[in-house]
This record gives sequence, structure tokens and C-alpha cells, in this order.
Amino acid sequence: MNQTDTIKLEVPAKHKYLNVVGACITSILERMEDIAESATVAYGVELAVHETCTNIVEHAYAGISGLIHMSITIEQSPKRLVIELKDNGRSFDPAKVPEPNLEESQVNGYGLFLMHQLMDRVDYYPQSGQNRWYLVKNLESRIAS
Amino acid sequence: MDEKTNFSFETRAVGNVQVMALAGRFDAYTVEKARGWLEEATADVPAHIVVNLRDVTFVDSTALAALVQGMKRSRQRDGDLRLCQLQQKVRLIFELTRLDRAFEIYTGEDEAIQAFAH
Repeated sequence: MNQTDTIKLEVPAKHKYLNVVGACITSILERMEDIAESATVAYGVELAVHETCTNIVEHAYAGISGLIHMSITIEQSPKRLVIELKDNGRSFDPAKVPEPNLEESQVNGYGLFLMHQLMDRVDYYPQSGQNRWYLVKNLESRIAS
Repeated sequence: MDEKTNFSFETRAVGNVQVMALAGRFDAYTVEKARGWLEEATADVPAHIVVNLRDVTFVDSTALAALVQGMKRSRQRDGDLRLCQLQQKVRLIFELTRLDRAFEIYTGEDEAIQAFAH
């Protein structure tokens, strides 16, 4: 079977509601069968999406009210999660964000780095009026013993 | 636990060590209280701080920043900010950022407190 399911969510771009995003992702992964280390994967994806949303709240909207439009697509072949996030705030150039120096403990600057570490693909498409993040997590099947 | 924020925050003093025990989601929405307490606690000399994360279920980069800031301030004041009882999943953000090497992390709170005596 090669069924694809998509779940859509629209949340106000406020820190207050980002736990809803996390709960949604965890709930989806809980019900996916045969995923290796599903709890660890769910936590990592939740953190990556949370950091993306935090970026949108703090930099795209920067104190202005707005919405985050999220869609989570569960693909079966190959098994993966595709998460798209859209905002109508200011865009930015990810190339201008310096990577953290991991040899020193920094106070800030880990958000984008964490997204790349936790996901298999992180693309950002700045567009006038609507910015789009495209995140992919490949899901490994649990090997039957 | 504050049901509105799914986060709780308790502090106590054990000798000259200030302990902050957190529970729930430690993130950009809940960080402010902890950040404010850390600013006050790290004004002492020496600033001996233990943060107990036993019941913390999620840590984001904003919460991490508050802890790093607290560690840096306490080390500037002849002290340290030490962590204890991290859940395995919460360790992830420390490992990816390699901050598990920068912080002193203990398995138990008593152990973290007693380490200041040495």
C-alpha cells in the first residue's frame, strides 16, 4: 500500500501555542507502526519543528501577530514525514546565519543548526508574502527479529 | 505544576548552593521565570547553582540559552551552574550542541550539591 495522509494545522504565531505543534507530531508518530526508535524520532522531529516555529515567531513576525500554516504528510514508500510550514512574515537569508562554534559554549545561535541536525532535509524558500519551510525526516522501519 | 503553562519551578537553598528544580516543558514560553531567578542567583559570589531537570520533558534552544547564560555568569563569579537528573531525551539537545561537555552534569542532585564542597 502506498497511501499518503496529510494533516493540516494553523496556529497563531505565539510561543504559547507551540506545544500544540509538538503534541500533534508526537501523536502522529505514536500511531505509525514499525518505526524504529519512534519515541526518540518523535522528540527530535518535535524539537526541529518547534525551533522552526520559534524562528517564525521571533524573526518572521517579530512581535507582529500572524499565523503559522503547517502541513504534515506521512508518506509510506519510502516511509518519511514531510513537514511544510508557511508564514506571511519577513523573510531572511539562512546563508547569513553563522553556524555555532561547537568548541565554545554559545548563548544563542543554535536554532537553525538543530533543525539541520535533527532532520534529513531542511529547505527554506523566502517568497514575497509567504515564506515556506520544507522539512523531511526519513523513517526507518523496525527490523523484525 | 502550573496547569496553564505545563511547567513548574521550585527553588531552595542547601547550604551555599542554590537549587532550582524544574518540571514540564522548559521552552521559549516558560523560560522567563527561570531566567529571572538565574540572574539573581548568579549575582552572589560564589554563585553555586544546581538545576535539577528530572521532571523536565522538553528543552528548546531558548531554555538552553538561559542555562548557558547562567553557567557563564556563575563561572565569572567563582562558581558554577551544574545540571542533574536529565532524562535521556532531554540530553539530545545538549549532545547535539556539545554543551554536554561544557556543563557538569550529575546523575543525582545530592551528588551535584556535594561536588561544590570539593
